[in-house]
Amino acid sequence: MPKIRKVLVANRGEIAIRVMRTCKELGIATVAVYSEADRAALHVRTADQAIFVGPPPSRESYLVQQRILDAAKASGADAIHPGYGFLSENASFVRACEAAGITFIGPPASAMDAMGEKTRARANMIKAGVPVVPGTTEPIATEAEAREYAQKIGFPIMLKAAGGGGGKGMRRVEKLEDLESAWRSAKSEALNSFGNDAVYIEKYLEKPHHVEIQVFADTHGNVIHLNERECSAQRRHQKVVEETPSPILTPELRSKMGEVAVKAAKAVNYVGAGTVEFLVDVHRNFYFLEMNTRLQVEHPVTEWVTGLDLVALQIKVAEGEKLPLLQAPEPQGHSIEVRVYAEDPARNFMPSPGKITYLRVPGGPNVRDDSGVFPGYTVPNVYDPMISKLSVWAPTRREAIARAQRALSEYVVKGITTNIRYLRAILAHPEFVEGDYDTGFLGREHTTLQGVEDPKLSEMALLAGVVYAHQRDAKRAKTLPGAKAASSSDTGRVSAWRQSLRSRRR
Amino acid sequence: MRYFTKQQGQKEAVPVDLEALGGERYKLTVNGVTYQVDALALEHGTMSMLVDGQSYSVEFEENGDEVGVLLRGQVSRFDVADERRLRLRAGTAGFSVEGKQLVTAPMPGKVVKVLVKVGDEVKEGQGLVVVEAMKMENELKSPKAGKVTELFAKEGTTVENNAKLVVVE
Repeated sequence: MPKIRKVLVANRGEIAIRVMRTCKELGIATVAVYSEADRAALHVRTADQAIFVGPPPSRESYLVQQRILDAAKASGADAIHPGYGFLSENASFVRACEAAGITFIGPPASAMDAMGEKTRARANMIKAGVPVVPGTTEPIATEAEAREYAQKIGFPIMLKAAGGGGGKGMRRVEKLEDLESAWRSAKSEALNSFGNDAVYIEKYLEKPHHVEIQVFADTHGNVIHLNERECSAQRRHQKVVEETPSPILTPELRSKMGEVAVKAAKAVNYVGAGTVEFLVDVHRNFYFLEMNTRLQVEHPVTEWVTGLDLVALQIKVAEGEKLPLLQAPEPQGHSIEVRVYAEDPARNFMPSPGKITYLRVPGGPNVRDDSGVFPGYTVPNVYDPMISKLSVWAPTRREAIARAQRALSEYVVKGITTNIRYLRAILAHPEFVEGDYDTGFLGREHTTLQGVEDPKLSEMALLAGVVYAHQRDAKRAKTLPGAKAASSSDTGRVSAWRQSLRSRRR
Repeated sequence: MRYFTKQQGQKEAVPVDLEALGGERYKLTVNGVTYQVDALALEHGTMSMLVDGQSYSVEFEENGDEVGVLLRGQVSRFDVADERRLRLRAGTAGFSVEGKQLVTAPMPGKVVKVLVKVGDEVKEGQGLVVVEAMKMENELKSPKAGKVTELFAKEGTTVENNAKLVVVE
């Protein structure tokens, strides 16, 4: 296979920039695609070339295969990196790339066919002898059918979009009465996000951990795993905090799950980066959940503890190179990632699009911020609310938590509301600190995570709020015609030490 | 000058007395405790506040009548009004959930479902309208028990931030 010289990144936001960064380091030229809503986006400026692909809704731009292929041809790109989401797990797009003579940086269409549709994946895994969670192997056609099957396997159950991921089109249903509305919203979200409203049912396991294994395969038949990621801190089945190593995995369990993940990848002749997701129950039994046939949002934590650049590895594998290592590296130290979302946790996580008026990004040792935003950028209403991923590394888990807290304390985003305070509350929660949290953690602790308030700080905030309102009103009054100028001569009432402080300040 | 503050979720407004001492200095009395506050306003709605030798870097976010205050990682939201403003706002819903309540769109988005019609009796917390934004569906709930008297939301339409959706009385 020839060397890749120019990559079109068929995505937006932080992941587009992440991929372009590695391309630059490898001396590979980059092409961005953008919708009307993204003309001012950072990925457009990061790329060497940028091509317009249509209106804001992704179904009319980023998801239109022909437009992406035309953009690749027009720019002379010899490869396409799909990022995550959008066309990253679309087998027909992979075939279209092959037909157009463009290298798709990802697994072959056949592996996506086998793993992309979740129900088919389950059937394939059962055949390969991989343990799976009880559920349907086919999408359910009608609500009545869903009702019948749910009663057969018993509540709670999970409704899941067959073509999905990222928590969209996914609903946990506790009882029969809730099934109808969950069914409706799961289907409509699935259709909107993936263009496919097929939904299936799975038994919901009590207090499970979501542990996933990163796998990598080359075109020479070598398949390895790169350890696990603990992703149990989820809200509405969307990951919020990820870490590696998982606090619940022993080296034995890691190697056992790793072996099964490698077996799963081999069963479908996998190539490139993929992730095999498992649920681990309270008895440390693990079940195959699904395989993500792409690079994942949380890949930085694996990069921190393995020292590898997974995007570079994807490109090398796509060029036909052999994997540089043939066994899983021991995880070095500990890494945590938190996802910064444009949403308001205090208002039921209401999305908060809008203009970022001020931004201060954390720094310091072993802190990484993968972001697609900048001061003055308007977060559009039509895409995902994730605006940044903050990840850290430290020798131990405790130190990694402290470092993540420190970094979050430096993170300031103004103009829109973010979940930064909520993330800090998660990292400070005793269950998280002890590493004893399952996928129900955030839902269960919803109120605690909202309301951890220090009364002293609340009082100080109250004082600050009143002073702010006073200063604001005084400023407004000054601009009104006939307003009395506020007195500024107060020197006689200011103590000597205050005066000295003031002069130093000036 | 007397201010009234109400934190999100609080039922009663808390009075705070403020005396400007000149420059950036203020004397504030709340719940019978008096604080000397040195509050230096900085760019981008930030403030360096010194109280009893403690240093607080404060960030503000204004949203209508409400001020969001970020201080040492904690966010508090207050509705702050002085006596004059409070009088002006008497009769509107700023400080209570009594009377007529207007539910507005908390962000720009698309109305995907209207769950009530004019004349419906609703409970507090009952879903009124589902607005989709950033690929997520958000159910807007009734702030009080009452009757739907006006309905502006229409399924399939896009709405701007703060667009009127439903009135519950």
